[in-house]
Amino acid sequence: MAALKKRSFSQSLSIILLILIGILIALPLIGATEFSLRDGGRAKHNFHSYTWIFKQEDFFINATTTFEIALVALLVTFILMVPTVAWLHIYGKKYIRFVEIITVLPLIIPVVALATGAQLALPGWLQSTKYVLSMMYVVLAMPFTFRALDIGMRGVQLEVLVAAGRNLGASWRAVILKVITPVILPSIFAALFLTVALSLGEFTLAQLLHWNTFPTWVAVAAQGNILGATALSVGSLLAAWLLLFSFTFFDRKKTNHQEAA
Amino acid sequence: MTSNTLQITGLSRRFGNVLALDDFNLSLGKGELVALLGPSGCGKTTALRIVAGLEREDSGQVILGDRDITNVPAHQRNMGMVFQAYSLFPNLTVEENVAFGLQMRKVDKAKRMKKAHELLDLVGLDSQSKRYPHQLSGGQQQRVALARALAFEPDVLLLDEPLSALDAQVRANLREEIRRLQLSLGTTTLFVTHDQEEAMAISDRVGVMSHGKLEQIASPDTLYNSPATAFVAGFVGTMNRIVTKLSQGNVTIFGKSVPAKSTGFSDGDVIALLRPEKVVIAQESRSPNATVITRSFLGAASQITCRTQDGNIIQSLMPSYESGELHPGSQVTLSTTQEEVLIAHV
Repeated sequence: MAALKKRSFSQSLSIILLILIGILIALPLIGATEFSLRDGGRAKHNFHSYTWIFKQEDFFINATTTFEIALVALLVTFILMVPTVAWLHIYGKKYIRFVEIITVLPLIIPVVALATGAQLALPGWLQSTKYVLSMMYVVLAMPFTFRALDIGMRGVQLEVLVAAGRNLGASWRAVILKVITPVILPSIFAALFLTVALSLGEFTLAQLLHWNTFPTWVAVAAQGNILGATALSVGSLLAAWLLLFSFTFFDRKKTNHQEAA
Repeated sequence: MTSNTLQITGLSRRFGNVLALDDFNLSLGKGELVALLGPSGCGKTTALRIVAGLEREDSGQVILGDRDITNVPAHQRNMGMVFQAYSLFPNLTVEENVAFGLQMRKVDKAKRMKKAHELLDLVGLDSQSKRYPHQLSGGQQQRVALARALAFEPDVLLLDEPLSALDAQVRANLREEIRRLQLSLGTTTLFVTHDQEEAMAISDRVGVMSHGKLEQIASPDTLYNSPATAFVAGFVGTMNRIVTKLSQGNVTIFGKSVPAKSTGFSDGDVIALLRPEKVVIAQESRSPNATVITRSFLGAASQITCRTQDGNIIQSLMPSYESGELHPGSQVTLSTTQEEVLIAHV
């Protein structure tokens, strides 16, 4: 009886905490959405701020730039991180801890230092293109992408699966694409989503390296039209959520398909 | 030598301070099933992984037919392998798993699916072809792995303790199935195991390994009846170890002098090695030399454990119908039918 009481108490506490956290997250969002729908500060609500976004010529230019940067960051993350973490799990288990610590560094090093580092270390041809930001975003996302892939690979016997793949005639390229990637697909999705989400929202580095991206444009636009800027923030948040849901949906669909067979 | 013969010469591999393989030599004839048997850490799996190309050697050569494949990458060696751990790709169905090797060889889909179904039929799992690995039992998964390893008609089949994760009954059935398939397809097979019963039951020849070296390689019968070294004698089957003395090439066993295989031994204390079935128990005797401790009924045979007057514990295996009168405490006389006894250092 006492145990039951204790259980129901801890359950109620969990629900209360969940509601509180929900309110904490939801309130600013609801507030921002409500504000973005106001018509020039009047009580009337409409979508004027949202239609204003699409009337801005810079919106499409900057959104495309950011999208391209995110796409390259995503590709580089896949090409660089998947084989590296796989190699660590197959041949370099003793180095995993060390690499794990290295990947946390982007969280500790101030972005200003990273920007200076990029200017000093990266080759000139790369610095002259916007894709310098892609490279930096790969680094910035590394604490999250490494962990997502590491957890995924810990869950499967990667060493045996790779050995089986090699033995069955798969080249290293085929091993990466046909053995490792499908097996840890949910983790790869998670890693890639984190990279894209970071690329779409990163402001400081873009500003410091003098590139016009979507977040830097939002900052400028906010100075002229605060309602439009709020609508932009709500809109981009919604886009990121849609992206996350589509990844989760695809992943779940695949898992269900495997289980149903 | 036939074209499919596998030959391993002078293989050595060191991991830090441990010498896993020490000048290891082995050759397999076409269609032969050879088992490598030995305790954990004796180097048997390392040898197999080097043959598969999954591990590199420090020195030595692996030759397939007349082709030196020492430096050929694993995916170009055309060797099928079944692993100890379950190694089916979890995202592929059973038939896709079996067809994977053919897919890598760019065989068109219709052909590779046909071949996959043939192999699945051979291992009795064609009805499960659309299932995923997690929907199969351990034994079924290893049978699919076997079908997958054979589907692309490998030059050599490598088995790395494929049965050790299974329970006893499944293990015994699958072991027979492996042998049946191997004989019907005529695939040259190298089988690594630490289970002597498994090795002896299905192999043409068994190689016993210790400390990275091959101690002896012979047919199961020869290995059991004429072990070349004390290690082999102790590792394969049950062996009585009797503390005795070596004198002028003879040892004293149960009060009688028996010639010893005594190469390299000097006179003094030695251990004589004797199989239980070579120990004869006589019940009616005026001068008994041992006392029965236990009698274990095993069916057709019974295992009798005795203590000799000089303190040695001796096991004897005799037909059950001859041992009915023996009970704990019975006074008996032990003797041996072994004409020449293998000895070991104390």
